[in-house]
Amino acid sequence: MSRRRAVLLQAAAVLLVGCGPARLRVPGALSPAPRPGTKGGALQAGFARVDITPPPGVGLAGNGPEGAEARGYRLRLYARVLVLADGGGNRLALVVADLPLSSALLHRRVAALTARTDGIGADRLVIAVTHTHAGPGHFFEAAGYNDQGSSVAGFDPVMVDSLTARVARAVHAAVADLRPARVAWGSRAVWGATRIRSLPAMLRNIPMPTALVDAPPGVALEYQLVDPELAMLRIDQRDSASGAFRPAGAFSIFAMHGTGNAPSNDLLDADIQGLVERRLERHIDPDGGFVPRAVYLFANGAEGDVSPAWPPQSRCNVPTLAPLPALDGPFTRTLWEWRAPTATHLASCRHAAREAISVIGKRVGDDAVALFDALGAALTDRLPLGRAFATLSLRDNAHALGICAEPALGISTLVGADDAHTRIQGWLLFGLFDLGFKQGSPNPNVPGCQAHKRQLFDAAFGGLPNHLFISGNLPSYAQVMVLRLGDRVIGAVPGEVTTTAGRRMREQMLASARGAGLPVSDALILGHANGYLEYITTAEEYTAQYYEGGSTIYGPGEAAMFGRALARLAASVSAGDSLPAAAAPPLDLVVGHQRQVVPRKSAGHVPRPRIERVWCAGDTLYAWLQLGGAAEWAVTTGDVALRPRVEVVVDDATRTVVSWDDDPALEMRLRSRRGGLAWWELSWSGVSGRTYRVRIPEVAESDAVGCAMP
Amino acid sequence: MAAPPAAAQLSARTDVSAGGRYVWHGISRAAGLVAQPSLAVELRAHRLSLQSGAVLHYELDRVSSGELSETGAGGRHLGEEDLWGQASVDLGPTRLHAGLVRYVFRGDSGTGGVGSARNTTEVFASLSTTGRYLNPTLEAWWDVDRVRGAFLRASLDLPVLGWPFPPYAFVFAQTEMGLNLGQGPNPARPGELANFASRVRAGRLPGIGATTLAFGARSQLNADDATRVDGLGRTRDFVVWLWTGVTIVLGGAGRTGQ
Repeated sequence: MSRRRAVLLQAAAVLLVGCGPARLRVPGALSPAPRPGTKGGALQAGFARVDITPPPGVGLAGNGPEGAEARGYRLRLYARVLVLADGGGNRLALVVADLPLSSALLHRRVAALTARTDGIGADRLVIAVTHTHAGPGHFFEAAGYNDQGSSVAGFDPVMVDSLTARVARAVHAAVADLRPARVAWGSRAVWGATRIRSLPAMLRNIPMPTALVDAPPGVALEYQLVDPELAMLRIDQRDSASGAFRPAGAFSIFAMHGTGNAPSNDLLDADIQGLVERRLERHIDPDGGFVPRAVYLFANGAEGDVSPAWPPQSRCNVPTLAPLPALDGPFTRTLWEWRAPTATHLASCRHAAREAISVIGKRVGDDAVALFDALGAALTDRLPLGRAFATLSLRDNAHALGICAEPALGISTLVGADDAHTRIQGWLLFGLFDLGFKQGSPNPNVPGCQAHKRQLFDAAFGGLPNHLFISGNLPSYAQVMVLRLGDRVIGAVPGEVTTTAGRRMREQMLASARGAGLPVSDALILGHANGYLEYITTAEEYTAQYYEGGSTIYGPGEAAMFGRALARLAASVSAGDSLPAAAAPPLDLVVGHQRQVVPRKSAGHVPRPRIERVWCAGDTLYAWLQLGGAAEWAVTTGDVALRPRVEVVVDDATRTVVSWDDDPALEMRLRSRRGGLAWWELSWSGVSGRTYRVRIPEVAESDAVGCAMP
Repeated sequence: MAAPPAAAQLSARTDVSAGGRYVWHGISRAAGLVAQPSLAVELRAHRLSLQSGAVLHYELDRVSSGELSETGAGGRHLGEEDLWGQASVDLGPTRLHAGLVRYVFRGDSGTGGVGSARNTTEVFASLSTTGRYLNPTLEAWWDVDRVRGAFLRASLDLPVLGWPFPPYAFVFAQTEMGLNLGQGPNPARPGELANFASRVRAGRLPGIGATTLAFGARSQLNADDATRVDGLGRTRDFVVWLWTGVTIVLGGAGRTGQ
């Protein structure tokens, strides 16, 4: 080989590697053995909340490539933390973040910090997410979710670092908040807020699922077959001044997708879960100002096939391929574009979605309040804590685990679920031939482990396209955990478990825990925890190849595998010890193409915020504001601000606050990053025929503007 | 509140295409390598738009005597320039066009090319509609100057999904069918270039005259407010597709020089 050719080949290799996906090796940091009695012998609890609302420009993950680029925010995104500690020095940290998907990378990175600072390693830390589809991406553990998770592609280390720092600081703050506590477990059925979205798949289960005895009669089957349980752990903390125990917060599990927002939504938003959280927090702490002291962690359960009960008019049409009308002259060839639905249509369906979020959020929130209040009579200071933790290497141990060795996506994944179909839903070749771009289109002729899963171009090329283009971008590990919180065991699963799969896992865990002598009364599934492996269906549901089955990437054995793993862990829950290093081996992750997604640059000199103009149009008050640098997060440090960035007040002597930038009726959209500064537009749709002012607290106040009664 | 749409919008478009044969109205006009740069501008107000443009036809091969050419033997230069204007109106997924084309020939008639004596003018109208799979267009052309003949064309664009992950890829199949009524070759002078050559006798039955098959690649780059690099709403869709078209000419016997 000539020297010249060798140089060329080396340059080509460098280019290829440089263009390839980023790879990370992430070590596991387990908790050290606890030191007993460091803070007295009683149960203690501590809470914290941190703002994780990123600046606009990030992709909204959860709806796949249809997910929009964030233009601003509505309800702010928070990570809420509960740390529990017993007299033996055992600590467990529960984090529920307003994020779309959980991430093993984020979990490991936070654990590396909190293991050192607070003795809370990967085995004592749960980072679960609400699954809001209006949260940012770019921090996931697998390339497929960073590169295809929204319309904004890429893995951004700054997003990982920012979330890691904020969540770790919140865990530390919750540890600092540890105080004697009393707790009570309870549950309540919430009917009518959710429905099964893939009913034909669910009905394939053997035995066929039946409605619970208290299911409301006369409603459609998909509403009757949900798991309606809202499970709650109420926590009261001892007030350091008075010595009395006061309601402080709660931890809940309820199965419901975070898909209240219309798929075309382009604002960061905490969705229905955010309203439920705020409803109870305001109930506990009605005079709490902008940020209540109370903290409500509202985690997701086995929600794989469970949608909120949104109305059909809340789903917007997706863009359609159409000839570009501009300059289509007699000598030119047609140009094509993805044509978005009309602005009128988008406004209409987004409005319907916000109405649905409001109604469902209030409905579930009211049930949470009722349950919280009812638990006040059952408080106790006894809550034995324990945990078991394992990391499953799915590709390497597939045979032993009973799953497929190579993950694969079904075509039904590409078309999206009922909550948000993609633009290729229902495509026919030449408008005539069905290629299976729809849900419920299994291919019974597929041989091997992934039988029934119709894959991309499999009719022509078998599994080759999946092998070449897809499987390498899918996750390879599953971190599984079982927590014992008093008489409940909780299986934390890195994925979206369907209702029936979750029910089976709960039964397996409960039987196993009891068999091991644990005095437990119930088992719960905590989904979206510590990583993301897409969906987990039963083997029967898998054969239907609805969206959830197509997204069960390691094949029909996944649910059984997790059931066995959870049962094994439930029987080995321990406290007061440290786990062997094998429980958290290093993860070798392929995280996708590295890009600068989170805005980095602000102006060197950022002037004081100011209000440019304020006006009313119809039922909406608008304001243009200059607020900070172009790359600033909503709360720069992540610490929850004591006051809003901007608020709307009534033009009276007391300046009564009627809205602020954490209100479902108030939207903040970035208009421009001119000059390295952030120029925002505020729109508030809550006017009621009065005169208002817009105020930047302690900085500026606009002139009064009268808004007619809509 | 989103900014209101501009009252009027001005756009411009330029294309360069190259092919091994210049075919117009289904009939070959130059057999060698042809480059066709074009420029168009548009003024749009709501549903109505006014468009105008020009396209030049350069023959790049040196033409020998007897070869099909507009420039004439020995030429390797501009053979034709066409100026056009049209008005369009959008009615939902349906679009109506009406316009006028002036054909100006720059060849040397003394060496077998097409000279200015053959200049002519056509008016045209078209109707197109957009669907998920089929995007049909119907066109009618009428020479109002020298030839007084008509050309009818029906075309169909069909996008075929090629890759289901973003950036989505489509292959566009285009089929078109044309019918010449009075614009075919002059039977009295069969060696003369067809199209605008002369009138043919009325009542002549149409038949398949020629078929062309073209493969091409085109790209488009959008630079409007929604897609500019520093815009808030930028998207990174980059569309590349193969274009293939089949033209079947009905309405005349085969002609020489093709």
